[in-house]
Order: sequence, then C-alpha cells, then structure tokens
Amino acid sequence: MSVMVTDTSRVDRALFVTGAWVLALIWVLPLAWAIWSAIHPPAFVTRFDPLAPLTVENFVGAWNAAPFGRYLLNTVLLVSLVLGAQLLLCIHAAFAFARLEFPGKSILFALVLLQLMVTPDILLVRNYATVASLGLLDTILAIGLPYFASAFAIFLLRQTFKTIPKELDDAARVEGVTLLGLIWRVYVPLAKPTILAFALVSVSHHWNNFVWPLIVTSSVETRPLTVGLSIFATTDSGIEWSTITAATLITSAPLLVGFLLFQRQFVQSFMRAGIK
Amino acid sequence: MHITSSPTHSAGGITLRGLQRRFETSTALDDVSVNLPSGRFSVLLGPSGCGKSTLLRLIAGLDTPTAGQIYVDQTEITALPPSQRNLSMVFQSYALFPHLSVAENILFGLSVRRVARAEQQARLDRVASMMGLTDLLARRPAQLSGGQQQRVALARAVISDRPICLMDEPLSNLDAKLRAEMRVEIRALQQRLGLTMVYVTHDQVEAMTMADHIVVMNQGRVQQVASPRDLYENPANTFVARFIGTPPMNLIPVACLAEPGALPEGGMVGIRPEDIVLDPKGLPARLVGVEYLGADQLAAFEIGPDDHRVRVLVRVPARHALPADGHALAWPDSAEHVFGPDGLRLSALLSPLKEPSHA
Repeated sequence: MSVMVTDTSRVDRALFVTGAWVLALIWVLPLAWAIWSAIHPPAFVTRFDPLAPLTVENFVGAWNAAPFGRYLLNTVLLVSLVLGAQLLLCIHAAFAFARLEFPGKSILFALVLLQLMVTPDILLVRNYATVASLGLLDTILAIGLPYFASAFAIFLLRQTFKTIPKELDDAARVEGVTLLGLIWRVYVPLAKPTILAFALVSVSHHWNNFVWPLIVTSSVETRPLTVGLSIFATTDSGIEWSTITAATLITSAPLLVGFLLFQRQFVQSFMRAGIK
Repeated sequence: MHITSSPTHSAGGITLRGLQRRFETSTALDDVSVNLPSGRFSVLLGPSGCGKSTLLRLIAGLDTPTAGQIYVDQTEITALPPSQRNLSMVFQSYALFPHLSVAENILFGLSVRRVARAEQQARLDRVASMMGLTDLLARRPAQLSGGQQQRVALARAVISDRPICLMDEPLSNLDAKLRAEMRVEIRALQQRLGLTMVYVTHDQVEAMTMADHIVVMNQGRVQQVASPRDLYENPANTFVARFIGTPPMNLIPVACLAEPGALPEGGMVGIRPEDIVLDPKGLPARLVGVEYLGADQLAAFEIGPDDHRVRVLVRVPARHALPADGHALAWPDSAEHVFGPDGLRLSALLSPLKEPSHA
C-alpha cells in the first residue's frame, strides 16, 4: 500500500513540477524577450545571437522620445491618491458595516456587494459623463475618482473587522476611546495584514490600469505611464520594437523592483490576511 | 507587596433599580434591584445564561437597559457612555491588545485620556512593581503565559485608579492552582485599594471565598442577596438551596415524610448532606451508591414510600465502609430548611418538628 502511495505521489509531483515549469516559461517568455530586445541593437530584435553587442541606446532613445518622467510622476500621484482615498473611505465604511447598527444597514451592504459584480468597463460612458459634468476631465483626480469607494476594500475589511474580538472593542470603550480612536487605535492596527494585502492589489491594479485613463486624459500633465506608453508605441516610433520594449521596461520597472524588494512581506501579509 | 500610596476610595456604591434587558426573543434580565455597597466585594453568581454577564455589561455601559436605572453614589448614570462611568473592567479573555506591548496595554487608557507622559511613567512603574510585571513590560501579550496575561489585565484596571472595578469571569481560563492563587491576590488587591468590586462568576467556590456579599441570579432574576455564610445557612428559596453547596442540599418533598406534622402540604424540606447522620432510630433508607472522596464519602440513599421514592445524599466520614443494607437516616430539627409549595423559604415556620418517623 505504501508503495502505491509513494508511486502515485511521485507521479503527482513530477506532473506538478513539469506543469509549474511550463507555465513559468510561458509567463516569462515575453518578459525575457522584452529584456533581450531592449538591451541589444534593433538589428538583433529577432536574431538571438548570444554574441550580439549590448547597448543602452534603446533606453536613452525611449526616455528622450517621450516625457516618461512626467508620466511616472503622474502614475505615482495617481496610485497614492487612489490608495489614500480608498483606505480613508473604506476603513470607515467597513467598520460601520462590521460593528455599528443603523437602519438600512443590510440593504446598503447588499448594494456595496452589488458593485463588486459590475464590470467597471460597463460604466465607462456613464463615468465619463459624470466626470465631465464635474468639470474634472483631463485631471489626475478624474482618473482616480471612480475607484475611491472600492467595494472590494469595504468587503475585505469588513470581514477582517468582524473577526476582531468584541471584548477588545469593549475594553477600549471602557478606557474611553472615541469612535475614531477605536477605529485607528484598535481596528486598523489589528487589520494591518489585510490592509497591506489590499494596498498591494490596489497599487498594482491602478499602476496598470489603461482604458479609463486613456479615455479621460488628453495631456502630458495627466497621462499615467500606461497611456503614455501606448501613445508612444503607436504613433511616434512606428514599429521600433527595441525602443518600445525599452520603454515598457522603464514603465514597469518601479513596480517590479518594489515587488521583488518586498516580496516576503507581501506573501506573508497575503497569507495572514487569508488565514485570519 | 506593600504598596500604600494608592488612594483608598470611599466612593463608588452602585444602586440598581428595576433593571430590565429584553432582547428580541427573550428577556435576559427582569426587575433587578440591588445595592452593591462601596468598597465591598460583590459577586454576581449564577448558572450560565442567568443574566449575570448582561447585568455587568449594563453597569459598565456596554449595553443599555430596556427599563430601570443605574446609580453610582446617588448619581444616575444609566445613559452615560462607559468612559464617563469612572470604572475599570477586566474581561474573561483579558482583552489585551495583541499589537501593543505589555506597557502600552497597561497605559492604553491613560494615553487615550491624554495623561502627561511623566505621570504615565510613574504610575506604570508603581503598578508594574505591584503586579510583578516589571520584567515583562516590553513583551507582547502572545509571549506571556495565561497567568501573566491575567496580571496585565488586572494592572490595566488598577492603573486607572478608578473606584469601581468590574470583572467578568476573570479566572475561568486559568488552571486550578493558578486560580486559587489569583483568588487570594484579587481579594487582597480589592481590600488594599478599597475598590468597589463587582465580580461575575459561575463558580461558587470563587464566590464563597472572595465575596463580601453574593447576588445569586437565575433566569434573569435576583434570587437572593446575602453574605456567603448567610447564603449557605439561610437560602431564600429552593434554587439557592440547590445551587449553593457541593454536593447540593437534599430537597425532600413533604409527601415523602411519614409524619409531615406542621409542614406545609406540597412543600419541601431541605437538609444539607453533612447534617444527616446514620442513626438506627431514624428514617429507613436503602443505600444505592457510594462515592469515595478521601476524607469523606458521599452515600446516596433512597427514602420514602414506594410511590414517592426520593434520593438523598449523605456526607459521612470515609473511615468506615458502609454495609450494603440496614440503614436509617436522621437529622436534627435545626438542620431543616422548610420551603413552601412556591419554593420560597418559610422562615416564620419554626416547626415544632418531629424526629422523622420510625415506620
């Protein structure tokens, strides 16, 4: 019996490992090619000669061809604005749904959940009209505004807050904390793993978000990296692939480096947020 | 432990008047009117679900009564938030904040109330040394044993310097040995600081050993308020009679006694197991079981006519083994507690009682 078990588990293991490698290779191939073409002269874009000369020309060319510095600044402003607003709004909303009693609570929470099921793309036109009527077209605020009240964040934080023992809440109230004090001194620190995990999802999502910023922005001062990159890739530089991949690497590098640096914390915080 | 700098409180007498707490489908508390005198150790005692924790939460202000008032020193506090009631509380789970160190946990309330740093430090030093926590201040709660966590929870209550301290089954998560130590320690702390203590427990040993007086509750109602001795010697009704004392008092329906005499019809006679003696001239009884306890043994007998058999527990010295049959039980008149058909004690009825019949 034990022989059978080890045999099947060995086969299983082999399958898992092969599968993982295949998937990893498929995933890494575009990235590897992007790196290859970015660090070699244009002539070697599809000629994989190991002796091909290395160059940084493509990066310099890409950086000078479009205002990537400004785009990067816009993106950083955008993701910080979105994350800050999301946390501020959703932490308080989640606390209210988790621990306060008020009329219409379950209906309101159902509406929030409903929002989770609506694809954002459906709302593009509607959102555009709203933003336009607010006079916010072509601003960074306009890119972030539709995402401030994140249903996902409210739901995630509400679930986390609900797991925090009521006695901690009671103890803090006997000691005389205000409602806001209770949220920021007790609930937020205890929900830190979840908040970190959400921050990660939010930042990467808005760093990469494309369609909405493309529609709502029309000037260099507001375009985030993704939009800037697409414009750069389609018009000015034709099909100069090595320059495009260099630009792509420039735009995704900060996020990539951030992930690599904080990988361990991210994974841990995801696991803790999941287990709790 | 010789801390004398703590002020002795004279304030903090709690008066509850007609308190009621209804939930949607049930009534947790009904018509509770009790005085919890200042500077005394009061225990709320009862089986689980009797409303004692609900009552404590009402006093703390963590819940609001559906009717009735709460007064502290003649000032009504029924509608005040917990922070304005001038009390501290220790929870069953200790409710220590896992993200704060021991020192930060103890200082939580002072920091919320924006007490000056220097004073916080001075009070922390004093309380930490009093509770033996000085070496643990930098640790997180998760790094402490259960007993140490309990001490931190106590320290957090003590440092507030508030005259009233509420405790919700604070010892139920400790092992038996530690529990016995903490009983003594909490009682000593209460007396030294002159705290008005309101202590919830379902453990009658805790209640009997620590309390100045005990409020016995059942099904949301107060059954009796008395000192431990009075409670044991003069239970007000059959619930208290059965609830206080291990093993519980024997309750014998009057119908089972061959010579009811002046006893009320449909009533009960209660006799403590230690008051019954084996006496050949007494009531014939059949031995049905023996539980050996070391110093004592608990013998279960059945008495009464065949259609009214009732089980009676007797505590007898364990030195002699009991023969299988030929037993008879007797007790002195003074050991009888007489209860009416409604279960209430008939104190007026000082029965000119008979020795149980020798049928």
